[in-house]
Amino acid sequence: MRILHQIRPILAALRSHKTAVMLLVLEIALTMAVLGNLVFIVYDTINRSHVSTGIAESQIGWLQNIGVVGQDNPVTGAENLAVLRAVPGVADAAYVSPPLVYAQRNPLFIDPSRKQPVAQVYEFQGSQGLVDTFGLHVIQGREPTLDELPVAATVTSDAVFPVLVTQALAAHLFPDGHALGKLIYDGGGNPMRIVGIVDHLRGEITGRVDDDYAVVTQLLLGAQNVGGGFTIRVHEATQLPQVLQAAAIALQKANPGHVQNAALTMAEARESYFRNALAAGRMLVAIMLILLVVTALGVSGLASFWVQQRRRQIGMRRALGATRRDILHYFQMENLLIVSGGVLLGTLFAYALNLFLMHRFELAHLPAHYLVVGALALWALGQLAVLGPALRAANVPPVVATRSV
Amino acid sequence: MFAYYLDLAWRSLKRTPILAGLMVLAIALGIGASITMLTVLRNLSGNPLPGRSEVLFHPQVDPRPADLPGAKEEPPDDLTYLDAVNLYQLGIAPRRAVMSSNWLPVRKDAPDSPLAMFSDRATTADFFAMFGVPFVYGSAWSAQDDANHAQVVVLSRAMNQKLFGGENSVGKTLVIATKTFRVAGVVDDWNPQPHFYDLNGGAYGKGEQMYLPFFTWLDLPQDYGYGPMQCWGNDPNAGTHDPKAKQCTWAQFWVQLDTPAQVADYRAALNQYSAQQHQLGRYQRAPDVRLRGLLDWLDAKHVIPVTVRMQTWIAFGVLLICLVNTVGLMVAKFLRKSGEIGVRRALGASRRAVFTQCLVEAGVIGVAGGLLGLPLAWLGLWMVRQQPVSFAASAHFEPSMLGAALALAVLSALAAGVWPALRASSVAPALQVKSL
Repeated sequence: MRILHQIRPILAALRSHKTAVMLLVLEIALTMAVLGNLVFIVYDTINRSHVSTGIAESQIGWLQNIGVVGQDNPVTGAENLAVLRAVPGVADAAYVSPPLVYAQRNPLFIDPSRKQPVAQVYEFQGSQGLVDTFGLHVIQGREPTLDELPVAATVTSDAVFPVLVTQALAAHLFPDGHALGKLIYDGGGNPMRIVGIVDHLRGEITGRVDDDYAVVTQLLLGAQNVGGGFTIRVHEATQLPQVLQAAAIALQKANPGHVQNAALTMAEARESYFRNALAAGRMLVAIMLILLVVTALGVSGLASFWVQQRRRQIGMRRALGATRRDILHYFQMENLLIVSGGVLLGTLFAYALNLFLMHRFELAHLPAHYLVVGALALWALGQLAVLGPALRAANVPPVVATRSV
Repeated sequence: MFAYYLDLAWRSLKRTPILAGLMVLAIALGIGASITMLTVLRNLSGNPLPGRSEVLFHPQVDPRPADLPGAKEEPPDDLTYLDAVNLYQLGIAPRRAVMSSNWLPVRKDAPDSPLAMFSDRATTADFFAMFGVPFVYGSAWSAQDDANHAQVVVLSRAMNQKLFGGENSVGKTLVIATKTFRVAGVVDDWNPQPHFYDLNGGAYGKGEQMYLPFFTWLDLPQDYGYGPMQCWGNDPNAGTHDPKAKQCTWAQFWVQLDTPAQVADYRAALNQYSAQQHQLGRYQRAPDVRLRGLLDWLDAKHVIPVTVRMQTWIAFGVLLICLVNTVGLMVAKFLRKSGEIGVRRALGASRRAVFTQCLVEAGVIGVAGGLLGLPLAWLGLWMVRQQPVSFAASAHFEPSMLGAALALAVLSALAAGVWPALRASSVAPALQVKSL
């Protein structure tokens, strides 16, 4: 209550420093606006970098084994899968490229005439064993059996492929909830019948809703010779790098005419996928630190100036019976009031800046709790910055009142 | 008078070292952040081929079907096979090069040598002279080689190092996608940024490792893609294995045009070509051509990464906050001198003189802030270079930014000083002198 009684004289005193107070409020408001949005961008990036693709990432690695056209290679695709599965530690293998590595979006249609695409989806097309290798969770319907899979060597263009789709895509295409058994069409390939629904499979992690729109097609790979991306899943996540190396060597040995190119774990793929965004985030953190330092310097500079200017008044208050604590609280309260003003104005600025960034850089809408965090940070920063000058003020001896400045 | 004001400013700042230091630091931090981002922005949007960019042009034609839902108005960036060949044979530009890229399995021409994938650019003879590519050994292949589908290759210095240990490999052979190629030349490290002639793989990053004659390259096995092939119609995979598919664009095309008359003639020829194709029924759309100069082309393609543009805005936001901060501190500082100013006014100094004196003081703060801001900008650029981003290597401090930093600092400090100086110069002399 004592503190509340102080507010009226503080406001009265501030009125005679309108300019400086306004500038300080403005500075805090601008800092809050920029800080709120930056924290949001950085936090969003970090959050995104932890979103799962829906596959058993810690156990999954990818090998690229490229065929040389015109060069004989005796090994068949099915044999290559067998070679990979025989490597100790490998739980499963399939001819397919995992998410984040070669993700490409294609238009999807629900009418055979293919006039109006209804979604852009990630298509994962691979060999038998794809679903198990990725470790996908079928939550509705079922995975097509080996007998049902179209045989890659003899497939005709009118054969209907049994496919799995993600839950998000099923809900988007068929909001009534009856996706199973329905036919869908991609740009030019075979018609596809939905036989099962998996919980999640994100081709990329951009933050969009349709990240999780995916179609999974398996073809039965037999005697043809294929090169390209093979995905393996290992039993023990800790063994992944060693097993992946062993698998690459085994594949190279079985395919002397192929070029053994990349071998990378999903952890590495994820690291490289988010490298740019995280680097940009680090630069934004540096900018945030600069902002905080500058604002703290400004607050503490002006507070020092005011303390200096009011030495005589402080001395008088002390002489009239105010304790050191009273003086300390006075300056702390004053700072709290100014920062609060800045926070109020800053909320407006933050939303304005967010609108601008949304418009220009497709940023998402700023959630309110970032502003609360920003306000708390600025209040703390203000109190910290004013502590030094306020302590100096509290140390002004009462005798100053009797001197002329 | 100016020297006197400088002296006064110096004394005044010395009297309040903390306040002065804070102002200088605020300006320096703002300048450091904004100059860092400005340098990155400038280097990224720089001219990839100074001296040559004025004569290089990028022709575009529009072979798309009339009815293409959701299509952009702009004609495609790249050409279809047929247009590429036709425009290549158009022959009215002093120089022209048709090109594309993919990657190919390469090994030394020795039994059991290991295969590896190398990135390549398939192009025609003029490429090297037109873009000014420097040669270490040998030279480019000839137009005759292009016509004869000769199996020759030009290596990059790095690839020559990898395969031949860096020696003069001209005349040696290697096996590219099962065919034997003879080395015609080795080019020095050459990788213009932005990678203007083909922006499909990103505008910044590594250059290609070898160069092959375009038409020879087309004879190679068709299993390694055709650069950025884009097809219209509903089939996203159409033509991936058929470069001659009529609905797919994938070839880049550049011409050198030395005079405005040549540019006008070429534009007319493009229009005429389009009209002719339209008449033949191959083009469904009315002639719609582009012939942009290199720098206009980069502008039109918005090559600057979005994050860099956003960070530049944010850096200027930081500068603005630093300025508001400095304004506040200056108001405090100048008002503190009210007594002194009152005396000067009472002794006959005009408001204008007091205003100038305050501005000079602000300018001194600006210069000091700029000088301190330079090492901060240098530090900032060093930090950018440590980041694993594709454009990191181009974040270098440029001497021209030195002047820009100082000018920006002084301008900001003056801008920040105007209002405080105005307030200081309106001090009523009588009131101040009385209270002394």
